[in-house]
Amino acid sequence: MTQDSSRLRLGVLGMVVLSLFCALLARLWYLQVLASPTLKVEAQLNSVAIVYTEAPRGRILDRNGKILADNRVVLALVADREEIAKFPESLDRLSVHLGIPRVVLDERLADERFSRFKPVPVAIDVPKDKLIYVREHQSDFPGLEGLQLTERVYPNGTMAAHVLGTVGEINDEELGPRKAAGYKAGDTIGKSGIELTYEEDLRGEPEIAKLEVDSIGRVQRSLGSQPAVQGHDVRLSIDIDIQRAAEESLQQGIDLARKSTDFLTGEVFIAPGGSVVVTDPRDGSVLAMASNPTFDPNEFTNGISVRRFAELNDPAEHYPLTNRAIQGLYAPGSTFKLATSMAALKAGLITPRDTYNDQGSYTVTGERSSTFTNARGARNGQVDVAKALTVSSDVFYYWLGERFWDNRGRLGTAAIQDVARSLGMGVFTDIDLPFESNGRVSDPAGREKLHKDYPEAFPYPEWYTGDNLNIAVGQGDTAITPLQLANSYAAFVNGGVLFAPRVGQAVVDRQGQELRKVDAKVLRRNDLPGSMLEPLFAGFRGVVSDPTGTAFGSFAGFPLGAFPVAGKTGTAEVGGKQDTSLFTAYAPSNAPRYVVSVVLEEAGLGASAAAPVARRVFEAIAVKEGISTAPPAAVIRDLNGRD
Amino acid sequence: MQAPRNPASPWRNVDLTLLLSTLGIALIGVVMVYSATRQKQETAGLDPAFFLKRQAVYLVLGLVALALVGLVDYRRIRDFVPLLYGGAALALLLVISPLGTSRRGTQAWFQLGGFQFQPSEVSKVVLILALAAICAAARGSLDTTTLLSALGLAFVPMALIYIQPDLGTNMVFAAVVIAVLLVAGARPRHIAVLSLLGITAIALVVELGMLQDYQRDRLTAFLDPQTDSQRSSYNLRQSQIAIAAGGVAGRGLFQGTQTNLSFVPEQHTDFIFTAVGEELGLIGGMSLLGFFGVMVWRIWRAAVLARDQFGRLVCVGVLAMLVFQIFENVGMTMGITPITGIPLPFMSYGGSAMIASFIGIGLVLNVHMRRFT
Repeated sequence: MTQDSSRLRLGVLGMVVLSLFCALLARLWYLQVLASPTLKVEAQLNSVAIVYTEAPRGRILDRNGKILADNRVVLALVADREEIAKFPESLDRLSVHLGIPRVVLDERLADERFSRFKPVPVAIDVPKDKLIYVREHQSDFPGLEGLQLTERVYPNGTMAAHVLGTVGEINDEELGPRKAAGYKAGDTIGKSGIELTYEEDLRGEPEIAKLEVDSIGRVQRSLGSQPAVQGHDVRLSIDIDIQRAAEESLQQGIDLARKSTDFLTGEVFIAPGGSVVVTDPRDGSVLAMASNPTFDPNEFTNGISVRRFAELNDPAEHYPLTNRAIQGLYAPGSTFKLATSMAALKAGLITPRDTYNDQGSYTVTGERSSTFTNARGARNGQVDVAKALTVSSDVFYYWLGERFWDNRGRLGTAAIQDVARSLGMGVFTDIDLPFESNGRVSDPAGREKLHKDYPEAFPYPEWYTGDNLNIAVGQGDTAITPLQLANSYAAFVNGGVLFAPRVGQAVVDRQGQELRKVDAKVLRRNDLPGSMLEPLFAGFRGVVSDPTGTAFGSFAGFPLGAFPVAGKTGTAEVGGKQDTSLFTAYAPSNAPRYVVSVVLEEAGLGASAAAPVARRVFEAIAVKEGISTAPPAAVIRDLNGRD
Repeated sequence: MQAPRNPASPWRNVDLTLLLSTLGIALIGVVMVYSATRQKQETAGLDPAFFLKRQAVYLVLGLVALALVGLVDYRRIRDFVPLLYGGAALALLLVISPLGTSRRGTQAWFQLGGFQFQPSEVSKVVLILALAAICAAARGSLDTTTLLSALGLAFVPMALIYIQPDLGTNMVFAAVVIAVLLVAGARPRHIAVLSLLGITAIALVVELGMLQDYQRDRLTAFLDPQTDSQRSSYNLRQSQIAIAAGGVAGRGLFQGTQTNLSFVPEQHTDFIFTAVGEELGLIGGMSLLGFFGVMVWRIWRAAVLARDQFGRLVCVGVLAMLVFQIFENVGMTMGITPITGIPLPFMSYGGSAMIASFIGIGLVLNVHMRRFT
């Protein structure tokens, strides 16, 4: 081998090396000069993530600014299920670190309420030092991340739960139409109550943070963000003191009913639930709305467990999630006589002074002859409309019922019902709460339609004279909500204006400055001449303050002089169930500012169960009005057999 | 120029260009390792300069090794080649015994305190010496016996490394063998046959590995990116995006989002060039390749000027070792060569490779400065 050959071979080697270097340089040039613009964009997308963080929701306040719904900051640890599957030891360490048994963590990790693609909170309310430790030792806790969450809190627990409503994670159905409004999967949204109705005001604007993230999505640094704007506060017309009184009084009434027996059947009352509504008849604003049984909306904040949710929907628990004030439908019983009386006076069937001799029963003659009696067979003698209201003479109204039917050619087949509807019965009240029921005021046309639509439930299409007697005393297929009941009396005492009830009063900012007022909304104005109203006012006054009045006993000792109350009891018969106890009243009776309606399911006489509940609510109101009330009298059970 | 007393003195003939270009590359490497690890370390709450400090230590150790290698005349070193070869083979044997530790499925390290030593890196240099020695002994005419002996010499360490398994290092070995044999005088058709054999062997290894579970698992670990095609293409794509994002001027040192945000895997070791491309741009990338070019040119020049065949072949071996690694590694980050776990000489984080590369340069300097004596 010669020196030349060796040189030649080295030359070949050199050429090979040179060409390799040229290949590298060419490729580098291609990537960084020719392909650079397109690939640069990809690099941008790679590293910038836009992260939405929900703003704290606005608070919900009572009319005096007392907090009904607030937020609190909690520290939480969330787990990425995929990562945890890869590093199960991560949870073992966390279990030791937090002192939470591994099985509990596994249970939370497996919680089916959380989307498979979202980190699952495995520990909420983690002490700060423990959270920091996990963050600092991230390599020991793969798949776990510390977060600061703002969560809804209802400081008063169950108080006004049905009004306030609940919040929860948005579902697909809710998300669909709201995507344009900026909602994202996983967001919190109002699910019921005020939380739902005023969602747009309460929600606020999320923080939009542009973050630089690494290849596995870990945040490296912020590239600027648009700060979150907390949602506006919503001030309600609810008065927390009256609300509390309503709830406590309702609970007390139910408890008492459960200890009482129906003296006709000897059975203990079941009293599964009830409702109290307090409104201001001058503008339709709601001061209190209680529904029993109730629930704690805090349970829903982090997603309620499937087991607990099933409990809340168990018929044996009497559906605590139902807001009976706007969803419960009840036969109004004698409280309906307001409508019958107004219709009779309006139609000229009676004058305020016309009387009927109530001998305890009323017999309808004709093709379906039958006898209707007063409750407990009481005889009230000669009664005019005011007296009939005071003593609750059913016979007087049976008489009116038949006369309406007899004059149907002139007055129409639904003269009573039309007046009832003009007072808002059986129609949506249009309150600013979701899922309201409308109920119905039954009439011949409605019955025919019901029969056609649901022949099983409503087997008879015909309307007989007896049906008109039933409607006259608020029995039959008629069913209204406690709110409708209150609202109908409000539309009577304020001179005929039917308001859409309002729970929300105003949307306010953090400083309490009003941003938007929730205006009173008039649904209709009824022309009610004073001459027509006066005998009714007198009759309702008598219910409470006349010794013959059905609720006289219940208000014994109440400062009626300083704070006159008037109202009407009702005891509705429900097929297959114990009687519904109703009482609706207003005060001060000369210039009403409060209407209270109380409905207790399967609790007996209106006078004995519902009226005392209303009395205690009025006591609380009177105290607020600065009127001293005698110490609450022992509940007086009206056993005189009258309703 | 005044004639010195002894113009042939080795210390007057040190190739400063080679030394300085190498040192320059290594210094850039230290900075880039820092850039690629700083933010990740900081995020994890660890010392951001951890890798910087270590790489600086490796650089110093490499320079010490280079100096030590340079002190002893390479012809003296030749006498120790059998010993060195035996030692390297023993180390490679021990590393696949329970004494060695494995990482990502490859058993190639000795754990020494807080440091890992990778014998296969140093064995590259030892094999170069052994090949040069045996081929030089043939005095220019590379007969079949010598050829087979050379191949036999290469076979032992390559077999042991195959067991680890570390296909990347074996590919470097193959490149070294072919280059040394080429310059040593192997016939062109021998070279052709050898190249063909090498390619077939690699294909067979992969195929065999696929057939046997345990072997496939090891290969999978080693071939990590390639067996998981999705992941492989992801890495490749990210690396190219990063380099492209650098553009002409680069994003600036420490500003590479791709690099810092771990979109590019192994960015302080195998994908260090990505960080250079993204942060220093075309200017930085070309400059770095320029430094490498100068270094390689000086090695080639040393081979040409070498006084004897042994020295020449040593230079060729070092040249092949470095060039193959540079091409394969830089090419991989830009998507023109397959992804293998080959470090970029003087740049990638790691002590064994750094020291081995400096020893290689030390040998070249040694040959070059003693070309008159």
